[in-house]
Amino acid sequence: MSTSNANFKNKCVTQVNCIFCDSLLCTRGMKAVLLADTEVELFSTDIPPNRTVDFVASCYSTESCKCKLRDIACLKCGNVVGYHVVAPCKPCLLSCNNGHFWMFNSDAVSTLNRLDATGQCLNLLLWGDLPELDDSENEESESPSEEECIR
Amino acid sequence: MAVVPESRVLTFSVFKWSSYSSTYLPENILVDKPNDQSSRWSSESNYPPQFLILKLERPAIVQSITFGKYEKTHVCNLKKFKVFGGMSEENMTELLSSGLKNDYNKETFTLKHKIDEQMFPCRFVKIVPLMSWGPSFNFSIWYIELHGIEDPDVVQPCLNWYSKYREQEAIRLCLKHFRQHNYTEAFESLQKKTRIALEHPMLTHLHDRLVLQGDFDACEELIDKAVRDGLFNQYISQQEYKPRWSQIIPKCNKGTSAQEINRDDMNSDGDDNRPGMRGGHQMVIDVQTETVYLFGGWDGTQDLADFWAYSVQENQWACISRDTEKESGPSARSCHKMCIDSQRRQIYTLGRYLDSSVRNSKSLKSDFYRYDIDANTWTLLSEDTSADGGPKLVFDHQMCMDSEKHMIYTFGGRILTCNGSVEDSRTSEPQFSGLYAYHCQAGTWSLLREDSCNAGPEDVQSRIGHCMLFHTRNRCLYVFGGQRSKTYLNDFFSYDVDGDHVEIISDGTKKDSGMVPMTGFTQRATIDPELNEIHVLSGLSKDKDKREENVRNSFWIYDIARNNWSCVYKNDQAVKENPSKALQEEEPCPRFAHQLVYDEMHKVHYLFGGNPGKSCSPKMRLDDFWSLKLCRPSKEYLLRHCRYLIRKYRFEEKAQSEPLSALKYLQNDLSLTVDHTDPDETKEFQLLPSALFKSSSDFIPLGFSDVDQTYAQRTQLFDTLVNFFPDSMTPPKGNLVDLITL
Repeated sequence: MSTSNANFKNKCVTQVNCIFCDSLLCTRGMKAVLLADTEVELFSTDIPPNRTVDFVASCYSTESCKCKLRDIACLKCGNVVGYHVVAPCKPCLLSCNNGHFWMFNSDAVSTLNRLDATGQCLNLLLWGDLPELDDSENEESESPSEEECIR
Repeated sequence: MAVVPESRVLTFSVFKWSSYSSTYLPENILVDKPNDQSSRWSSESNYPPQFLILKLERPAIVQSITFGKYEKTHVCNLKKFKVFGGMSEENMTELLSSGLKNDYNKETFTLKHKIDEQMFPCRFVKIVPLMSWGPSFNFSIWYIELHGIEDPDVVQPCLNWYSKYREQEAIRLCLKHFRQHNYTEAFESLQKKTRIALEHPMLTHLHDRLVLQGDFDACEELIDKAVRDGLFNQYISQQEYKPRWSQIIPKCNKGTSAQEINRDDMNSDGDDNRPGMRGGHQMVIDVQTETVYLFGGWDGTQDLADFWAYSVQENQWACISRDTEKESGPSARSCHKMCIDSQRRQIYTLGRYLDSSVRNSKSLKSDFYRYDIDANTWTLLSEDTSADGGPKLVFDHQMCMDSEKHMIYTFGGRILTCNGSVEDSRTSEPQFSGLYAYHCQAGTWSLLREDSCNAGPEDVQSRIGHCMLFHTRNRCLYVFGGQRSKTYLNDFFSYDVDGDHVEIISDGTKKDSGMVPMTGFTQRATIDPELNEIHVLSGLSKDKDKREENVRNSFWIYDIARNNWSCVYKNDQAVKENPSKALQEEEPCPRFAHQLVYDEMHKVHYLFGGNPGKSCSPKMRLDDFWSLKLCRPSKEYLLRHCRYLIRKYRFEEKAQSEPLSALKYLQNDLSLTVDHTDPDETKEFQLLPSALFKSSSDFIPLGFSDVDQTYAQRTQLFDTLVNFFPDSMTPPKGNLVDLITL
């Protein structure tokens, strides 16, 4: 799951705000289309938004694929602004994806393209300009076999 | 008597608020627009205190409050809130403590509007949100309607009554103060003028004898009569239970025991006569015959298939079967569940744990057996319940019997899966079983709730190692505790089996911590439908790291009607410190994988075996057997205690003037009221003679009054004794001087 795919390097980095209460949700947004339904436009991000959203309700799946999803709401106003892909399904993982698991519905957010460090009006910040994230995937090495049952 | 007019919508304005965010202004609650997400008050944070204070146009009897909501569920809805009311914003009383469902339906709640059957008016109403449906979200209120009576013909008399009530209570506080400080004239003239009684005449009599006359014998007689008349019953019912453990030493069968003693001196009471050491076994009790049934378990190295019955009356174990499999019953197993149908005298068992090494498609079948007590036969009800639409093979689940409707409910447990066959990458995630019902008559299963996250109001989250109890009177299952992978669950909900409805009692957020049993402990619970109580014994943490620091037993009681937990006792004694023998025999050591059953008819718990969790000897299991009774202080105890208090004081007074006769009094009369077998009481008694050598210099005079030490101390004793009487008889509990702040 890396964003290093060349297709995505030229995408603009957007700032995503809640359309209802205008609070800032995320500064690493990317305009994207839904894999299962390319008609649907949304904004995605790679890192879990830090203290701006939280989960509401339970996991669900849509008709179009078997991804396990869970809605997220703006922490300030509580309105649903998107969803998190809790567990992607195989077809979605295998198709060309941007590796982002946090989605904002385009009608629930307002967005602004970010500018790069020069600050000049036309120099938009691109995903390729962002530093690579550390692959800190093995931070939680669970050992479920140990004491599975207690008797 | 005037007819009480109908309740009407009351006019109010939003008077004060703690905070608001964005465009979610407090006055938005005045309009009801369920389709507009912005038509609400929303707090700026969920950091307490958050509130709205409403001011009514004129004083009114506020009878109910209605909350409007958004057209969809919303995380900012109030899961818990309180409503206060009063004539001034500084002085409000609690009118309601409740919560909203997370749905789109308007909800109306009755507010407290009477004291002693008398209606009281409010001018201000304060709404205090305590918890939202999403714990990290702000609080929102969409719409508020207040209903009540504002007709001046009704409200005015209530206002008069209310001010009179307050005045009356103020006067009683003054009377108490005057008497305490011996301002006799002031006391008498105030009482004469107002004719307000400070207390029941019987207590005035007690005061007269005790404080004014020092006639202690008469006091003892008065107390004795009060106890006999049942006046202390209310006090007793409010007292907490004290647990009384006693180890059960069952009788041995005479035939074998002699041989056993010869064979093995270490285990002088033959192993064959009672169940051996084990954990992860199952126990049920037949309260009609007072018989405890025990089946299976894990002895540290292997699963067991022995089946036992303990007769309480005979104090003896009988082995029903050494190996139930040989009698076409269940194979050896542990971490299974058992329930009993006392009416039909049948026992059911479902589920088991299997080591990963022996799991295969054949062994992973969830067999389901019934044992008929009278016929002494096992029946295989199903080779695999999952093939019948029931649960897959699970362990550490819960199972309850509903004898009345001949149903079994089973909930949770971890589903055992083969390690080898990985269908997709997610199989390593543990799976949990949902809530199922088994119709015993039809022999059919139905799935009532799938395992889901807790988010929806009717959803339940599956788990292992939880507690589930069936309340035979209100016909609800009560579920709490347990864990899911590494998360300990702290929530508490009930499931109405007839209405198919989940009611969340507590979502287990931090605000309740310390007030509810700790999770992460292998708690065992029982229910008493008659007393409307749930009992929880929590022992050892499953968590190895926590085990060392938190080794203790604690016992909790949940009062279902009052919705509150109380901790009956906690024991901080560390087990690893090699406890003295005496302590060890006093109560069972903390453990897990033990079993606890409850005889609700005779009010006795029985505990057997378990795993003491000693890291140095991981295979060690226990075979001790205990009974537990919960006791409240008896009338006799209270009477003796009051006598002791009176005599102790009498001795102290004597000690000042005539030490010699005081000493005699101590040795004779006072000593009689002490339970010399109780170490605490004995110790206190032994310290009493020091009063003989004490000067009276540590007395602090009471301000301007001429009260002497004797009067002050007798008053103190009077106040102590009065505490045992019902509130309706006693002077006010508070003291006037405590109203003074520095």
